[in-house]
This record gives sequence, C-alpha cells and structure tokens, in this order.
Amino acid sequence: MSSALTEVRRSAAPAAAEPVAQGKQKPPSLRQARAFYLFVAPWIIGFVALTVFPLGYAFWLSLTDSDGLSPKTHFVGFANYVEIFQDPLTISSLAKTGVFTLITVPLSIFAGLLLAVMLNQRLMARGLFRALIYLPAVVPPVGAALTFRLIFDRDAGAANGILSTFGADPITWLVDPNARYVLYGLVMWGCGGAMIISLAGLQDIPRELVEAAQVDGASYWQSFTRITIPLLSPVILFQVITGVIASLQSFAPLLLSSGSLSGAGTVPQGNYMYMIHVFAQYFSASRFGYASAMLWLLFAVILVVTLIIIKVSAKTVFYTVEPEGKR
Amino acid sequence: MITTNHGLSRRRFLALTGAAAGTAVAVGCSPASSTNTGPAAGSSAGSAAKGTVTVMSQSGEFGPKEAKAAAQALGLTVKTVEYDLTKLTAMLASGNPPDVVRGLGATETPYLVARQVAENLDPYFEKSTLIKADDIDPVNDVWRYDGEKQGSGPRYGFAKDYSQDCTIWYNGGLYDAAQVTRPSGTTPLLFDELLEEGNKLTKRQGAKVSVYGLNPNGLGLFQQLSWMTDLAGGKLTADDLASVDFSSPEAQRALTWYLEYAKAGIGPTVLNPDPNGWDGPTFQAGRMATTLSGYWLGGLFSEDPKSAKVAGFAPAPQFDTNRRVSPCFGGTGLWIPRASKNKDAAWAVMEWFLAGAPAKARASGGWGIPPLKSLQTLMPQKLPYQKQAYEVQMAEKEHFSVTSFTPYVRVDAINTIISRELPKAIKGTTSAGQLADALNSQINAQLEDGKKRLR
Repeated sequence: MSSALTEVRRSAAPAAAEPVAQGKQKPPSLRQARAFYLFVAPWIIGFVALTVFPLGYAFWLSLTDSDGLSPKTHFVGFANYVEIFQDPLTISSLAKTGVFTLITVPLSIFAGLLLAVMLNQRLMARGLFRALIYLPAVVPPVGAALTFRLIFDRDAGAANGILSTFGADPITWLVDPNARYVLYGLVMWGCGGAMIISLAGLQDIPRELVEAAQVDGASYWQSFTRITIPLLSPVILFQVITGVIASLQSFAPLLLSSGSLSGAGTVPQGNYMYMIHVFAQYFSASRFGYASAMLWLLFAVILVVTLIIIKVSAKTVFYTVEPEGKR
Repeated sequence: MITTNHGLSRRRFLALTGAAAGTAVAVGCSPASSTNTGPAAGSSAGSAAKGTVTVMSQSGEFGPKEAKAAAQALGLTVKTVEYDLTKLTAMLASGNPPDVVRGLGATETPYLVARQVAENLDPYFEKSTLIKADDIDPVNDVWRYDGEKQGSGPRYGFAKDYSQDCTIWYNGGLYDAAQVTRPSGTTPLLFDELLEEGNKLTKRQGAKVSVYGLNPNGLGLFQQLSWMTDLAGGKLTADDLASVDFSSPEAQRALTWYLEYAKAGIGPTVLNPDPNGWDGPTFQAGRMATTLSGYWLGGLFSEDPKSAKVAGFAPAPQFDTNRRVSPCFGGTGLWIPRASKNKDAAWAVMEWFLAGAPAKARASGGWGIPPLKSLQTLMPQKLPYQKQAYEVQMAEKEHFSVTSFTPYVRVDAINTIISRELPKAIKGTTSAGQLADALNSQINAQLEDGKKRLR
C-alpha cells in the first residue's frame, strides 16, 4: 500500500528537483514588450471596464440610499452595512444559503464521484450511460427549473399523477416545507456535471498504482480510499470550491422552481435564500444601495470561505506535481 | 518580473488602459446633454420632429414592425429596445434613457413623478391635433399626479388601451353544468355570492382541483385589497400615501374574505399557483369558471370559437355596502423620460401610436378599451360574446374612479411582503388580525424608508 504512494511521490520528485534557472533574465526588447501588452490589453481593458468599474460602482452605491431612478441620492456611509446585521430577513436568508451549501455541495460531489466510479468500470453500453447521466447537466438551468415546476405542480403535475395512481393524496410540492426537497432534487439532477469531472480525474490515475496496491494485498476499499481518493483530491478540491461559490450565489433555480413566476415574493420561505433577497431588494424594493451592500458582503463571505477551504485543504490535498511556488 | 527600459512601462501601460476604460465608462455615464423642455413651436405631430427615437416596450406591443411603420409615417428613425426594468434603470442612470417607455400608469405614475424621471406632457397635449381634451377617456387620469394625489395635475403619460381590471369573465358552460345561474350583465355579484358560487363551480378529482371555481387575484393582491377595502367603505392607504392600515374594520373585511377564498382551495393562490402563470390558457382549456381579469382577456376568444361560445362578461363585484367602484390597475401606455434627448420626436411617435392608425387597429382587436372616446365605437361587436361584453363594459365605465398609489415604494415591494406573509394566514397559523399587524409593520417601514429617500 504505502509503497504505491511512495512511488507516486518519487515520480513527482524529478520535477521538484529540476534546476531553477539562475541569474538575471535579459530584459525584453521594446518589440517584445509591445507584443506582450498588445496581447494582454483586451483582457485588461475588459477586466477594468467590466469588473473593476462595476465593483467600484457597486461599492459606491452601497454607501448611498440610491433607488436606481431618483436623482436624489444621499450618501449614507456604512449605514447599509450596519443594517444588514440588523435585518432578520437578511440574516435568515444567509443562514438558509449556508445550510443549502452544506447539504448540496457534499451531496452532489459524492453522487458525482459514485457515478464516476461506477461508470469507470468495464460495463456494457458505458458510453450511453455516461451520456444519459451527463445530459441533465447540459440542460440550461432555466429549462430544468421550469420543467421541475411543471412536474411538481399540485393539480397538473406528473409527480402527483403517479402518486394518484396508487391512491395517494396530492402533495403540494412547490410550497413550504416540500419546496426545499424539490429544490434539492433539482440540484442533484445536475450531478452529471460533477460526475464528468470526477471521471476525468479517475481516468488520470495510473492503473498500475492500483494494481501494485492490489498485488501488495490491498482490498478494493483500501486502494480506493488510500490511492484513488488522495490522487483525486485536487479534483475534489476544485469541485468543492466551485460548488460552494455556485451554491452561495444560487438564484435562477430558486426563483423559477417556485410555483409562481411573479417574482421574489412568491419564493417559498424555505427557499428564500440570500440572492433572492438581494433580487427583491434591487428590483421589488428598489433599494439599490442596500442590495449593493448585500452583494459586497456576499463577496467577502465567498472570499473568506474560499480561503478557509484552501487553508484547510493544504494538508489533505495530494498533488502528484507540486503546485507552482512550492518547489 | 518583466521590466522595460523604454517608454512603455507597465505602470504607464496600466495607466493608459485605465484611462481608456475610464473614458469609455465616463462617456456611458455622462449626463444627458439635452435641455429641450417643451414641444418645438408648431409641432404637434411628426412634421417638426427629426432625428432618432428609441422606444422601450414589449415586442408584442411596439416592436420592430411598429418601429418601421412609425419611421415611414413620421420620417424619423425609430429604434426599439425590449422593456426591461434593469436595462431602463441602467439607461436612466447613464443619462442616456430611451425616448419613450412603456409603463403601467395606474401604479407607476406617482413613483416616477416623485423621482422626477417622467416629463410633464401637458404642453404636448395642448398642441396635439390627434388628441383632443374632450375626447380623452377619464381612465387616462391614472397618468396624472399633482404631487399629493393621483388623478389630478399634469399628465405624464397616456394609455394605449385599458381595462377595468376587476370586471368578470365567466365560462357559461361551466355555470350551466354546475347548475349555477350565470352572472348578470347589469347587477354586480356580491362578494359572498362570488365565493359561494366559486365553491359550487370548483371541480375536484380526489383532492386535486381540475376546474378552478374562481380567481379573484387580478393584477396584484395589494391592488385587489385596496379596492375591496374601498368597496367596504374604508381606505387601505392613508391620504398622505405614506402609510397603510390593514387593521381597520373595512380592510379586515377584505382580508377575511380573501383568506376564506384561499382556504377554500377553489382557485389559484400563493400556496397553490396556477402552473400557467396567468388565466388565459386555463380559461381557454375550460379549467376556470370565473376570473376577475378585465375586458382585455376577451381578445383571446375572438380566434378561439370554443371559448367564444361560452364566454360571458359581468360587472365588477361589490360588498353589500352599495358602494360600486370598478377600477383600472394598469392603464398600460407610454411616457417620456425627462432626460430624453429628443422629446419632440418622442411625442410624435407616442401620439402616432396612441391616437393614430395603430390605435384604430388596436381598437378593433378587442384587447382593451381604446383611450380615446372616439375610438371606442370601433370595439369589436361582431360575435355574440363581443356584443354582450361591449354593452356591459360601456355601462361599467360609469363606475370608474382613480385609486391613488403611493409614490414612496413600487407596488411590487408591497406585493412581495404580502406574498411572504400570506401563506401563514392561509394555513391558519396566524389570524387575519396578526396578518394585518405584520403587513402594517413591514409595509409602513418600507414606506417610511422610501419617503426618507425622497427628501
């Protein structure tokens, strides 16, 4: 067992041991510099105009009581930020978003990994299964949410139609407390995306490592937990970080899977998460200043959570090649 | 690290890039350069107007086809932008708004005027050759606001067509099948009768509802509850439009009736919404017996013989107080932003669309009542249901009056709060009184905040 892992580390070692170029680099010529700046200029201009400026503008808005229309906008300092921590709806929507993230991210990664392991075996019609399971992930989220809304409609939906054939009473799926189960179902419906990433990671693991471990007497479970999972850990870390960010920013499925399409007010309270509240503040209440402050808070939360995940993962994620800067 | 010994340093490059992006942004955000504040002398239609007009509307109402026709008729360049509140906000914030914008006069006028966004159109109306003061239907008063009350003061917009939104469409076939007498075309139903008949008309398959007996939700619950409170003899919004009171006996009567309806499970509610999202397809499928939708819904039936055969139109219901009001909560039309750079041309397009050839074409479509009295004779009366609806509608006009909406928040904000609090009351976990307290406290807080922002 341990010998297989040692082998991986050894294979990574030469890369780490490569001599680093010593001495000063020759400064680039004017032509080289111009070429470099010309190539990066579109990105830099786009980044400044479409990211830096909107961020700055949103920050400025967050310091005002702007309603988006009125020319009478007042500077209110950090009052909007203070209000966030005094607004029970904001706090509860943030808490609901946290719980949603804690449940759906591990669940979808686990389901994706399980499916990937199954579909990494030699199976008949393996390609067909892979395509079928991945297919829901390529359905646009709006389409998937609207389809779920129709399936789970109380009076006209297929879900209650099936239940009624067994004599069961119809369930009001799209309101509390059932709406959250529909939402979790909708999120899990797209776990084919996680599967495809995990599958790519699995196929990147050298088969000889697993075989060597089995020759050493490792069981399937041992080789899975001590070779496959560690080698897959960078892929899992990637899924955790992108999954957490996407979950914290969840919006369209929450809005569209509610029973009515009339706006944030019709989203069941169980699914009334942070971005729905932001949307309501922007476009129902026209509180552009407060909503912008809420978005800046979300940005800070995502930044902190991501940093914590990276910090915590430092000792649990195993790279076959050391990340840049660690050599 | 890359360094250069030449003029194009990284710092200078970044500074130049920032300046370029900043310039682009500044151009987008520069305030409107226009200073024109009234109609050009002698202009009432397209003759004096020149240049480009951008119309923000829905493509089904004023789309590229209408833009092309307007351009041909007026000799202008007319562009269209699909209506989108986010886009409108961004365009207004950048000082480069569309020249003509779609809006709901009944609920948006005070909000827009209080924020000094909409242009006073009185000078244009005075000079108009197509719109005469005595030809204007009273419903266009929803587009007037004097700073304290809706319905008087300058005109800030004009309806393209309208409905009295609480009038009733019913499916006569479903009434006959349930052995319920069809609603009268002259005597309004009482709310208690409406509820009782709704119960009789509802069809269930087990616990599932296959035919809704009634949908009284209209264009929004706050609008409906304001109207019902008025019918009960009270007022939901205070005279200064800065607070609401759901606790008054009249408002409680309205709330209690609505909760009874919702608990009966005879029609769509926030707890059991219609999957179609609106009443049209449900009514056409024979799955809705009665809906408070207004005249415009009849436009659907002219090309649907099945619905045309069974559809009937009835006056808006009332309580037993003898008070009869038949409001309009839409009055969908057009307005011109104060920051428009080409107001004369914008008015020319607006006048042509609202009172010219397109208005005549719309009048005969049956998708709403024309905003000019002279065009109302063109309303469809060919099919029996159209004739019956026309007669009922013409009599109903007498009972129209303007309901004042608050300038301090959007009506959407109030409806969001109602939708959030209502489920607890429908499920019975809170009483009508507790619901009123929750609504008063949350809505009044928003109104206070909105008022503060208008200082």
